Amino acid sequence: MAFLNLEQVSKDFGPVTAVCNVSLGIEKGEFVSLLGPSGCGKTTTLQMIAGLVEPSGGRISLDGRDITYEKPNRRGLGVVFQSYALFPHMTVAENVAFGLEMRRVPRSERNERVREALSLVQLASFADRYPRQLSGGQRQRVAIARALVISPPVLLLDEPLSNLDAKLREEMQFELRRIQRKVGTTTIMVTHDQAEALSISDRVVVMEAGRMTQVDAPYRLYEQPSNAFISSFVGKTNLLAGKWRRNGASAYVEIKGISLEAPIADLSDAAPVMLSIRPEKILLREPGAGRLDGRVTNRFFLGSQWLFTIETVAGTMTVAIPNQGGDPPLEGSAVGLDWTLTNLRVIPDTANL
Amino acid sequence: MQRNGPIALAFHILVVTFVLAPLVIICLVAFTPENTLTLPTTGISLRWFKAVFAHPDFVTSFWNSIWLATISATLSVALAVPAALAISRYSFPGRDFLNALFLSPLIIPHLVLGVAFLRLFALIGVGGSFAWLVATHIIVVTPYVLRLVLAALSGLDRSAEQAARTLGAGEWTTFRRITAPMILPGITGGWLLAFINSFDELTMSIFVTSPATVTLPVRMYMYATESIDPMMAAVSALMIALTAVAMLVLDRTFGLDRILVGQR
Repeated sequence: MAFLNLEQVSKDFGPVTAVCNVSLGIEKGEFVSLLGPSGCGKTTTLQMIAGLVEPSGGRISLDGRDITYEKPNRRGLGVVFQSYALFPHMTVAENVAFGLEMRRVPRSERNERVREALSLVQLASFADRYPRQLSGGQRQRVAIARALVISPPVLLLDEPLSNLDAKLREEMQFELRRIQRKVGTTTIMVTHDQAEALSISDRVVVMEAGRMTQVDAPYRLYEQPSNAFISSFVGKTNLLAGKWRRNGASAYVEIKGISLEAPIADLSDAAPVMLSIRPEKILLREPGAGRLDGRVTNRFFLGSQWLFTIETVAGTMTVAIPNQGGDPPLEGSAVGLDWTLTNLRVIPDTANL
Repeated sequence: MQRNGPIALAFHILVVTFVLAPLVIICLVAFTPENTLTLPTTGISLRWFKAVFAHPDFVTSFWNSIWLATISATLSVALAVPAALAISRYSFPGRDFLNALFLSPLIIPHLVLGVAFLRLFALIGVGGSFAWLVATHIIVVTPYVLRLVLAALSGLDRSAEQAARTLGAGEWTTFRRITAPMILPGITGGWLLAFINSFDELTMSIFVTSPATVTLPVRMYMYATESIDPMMAAVSALMIALTAVAMLVLDRTFGLDRILVGQR
């Protein structure tokens, strides 16, 4: 059994089901993200692990111990809240010391551990400040220090970076990962930001409407999304709706009167599907030399790459080409689009069944 | 910083003048050496202040009022804080009724309350006791405390309490170490309003005080019905001075904006 185990965990708020039969095992030392749009149940799931929300059904166990209905103060988990939830009437050091005080750690050891925790988050010189005298990023790090100082078996992070500006968020992503690696604490982070989830997690759990829809390593999630929602929510993708056709050992997809070669899938003939291909997996060729012809309607220069909008018979496609220093096709010019067949994903189109 | 136009400025001056002018005049009249309330006066004298302290009735009543207001305000805080917590955090049958019940003394005229209590106390035979006087004052001042504590609770970030829970604090420790300090401005402001309202209460107290428990406002009222002389002005001036000092001390220790507006 995994270190932290969720079995068929559900939560209903009156007639609304916020979380439905979530089962998940998390190993010791793992960094797992719960990713999904707002209202998908990811925060409720985290709060059930923390003990702040009581599950309507299912079982949660930690290191073999059933904690489903245990009070939050008996669980000993570290929680970092979205609003940081620092105690405004206490100094930074008092905030961090609070958990140790509750554990009746002697004063001298307490001071030592507070100092260690604050230097871990690089705030050693801010011990005597009050939260209101700190910037957003500093408050965030105090919240992390306060959660980590009690040496929790599991660290829970609720949208920890969403209140920070873009540049600081990027810095804190690496900072979070550095701290987590150094301390080795099992960590669960809730986020709606796919880039954040992909960049720092060992595994990502995608949640939609209260259910887990895919659990995978970030790169596999990106390359092999299990449904159309995930393929467009995690990274950018081109989605083309069509009909899947088996043709002996090969297959093709009919889209608006044309046929595109498609990978073999376990589907019945004429099943409605979505073809998904990432913008950076498409190559530009001479017209007629690729799998699909089109015309450039827009091109955007993004520094490290060019982004093209290309009108094709099958629909509008976005194509990203790395900037190699050359002059790419102009707006209005005809181009051919090509790709490796394995980069094309066939996703059953459940919405049009 | 918002700038006021000339009309708004004139309006502010008028309001401040109308509020302050009677107080200023009372304070000036208190220093008259003459036998009647006159202004301008012929000189400055402490004659009427001395007269106040020569009346042991007034001194006793003053202490009655101080004790009454202190005890009522404190007990009403002890009553209103748990009530506010229950009303703002839990939904239970009768929650709205409880809220309305606690606020109802605000809309019942004190005159009616006074007559009702007089009748009730006569019926159960406790007329004139200080404890029952305190009870009536608690009923009258609790709505103020409840309102302020409810306001403080509604502006409170619950996640700080949740954080304390996850860090190992039980419910009582969380209240004592986190919730109470965070709503302290509301509690202090409520206590202060309760104290002032109790200290100032006349209409109801006339009915429920006995010769042994006469409060200062009742004493002043009784005195003024018999004779109008500058001693009333001197008592008023002393009360104004006392309030001003109390406010000053509170402002220095907590900050009045924080207490009454609830913001830092």
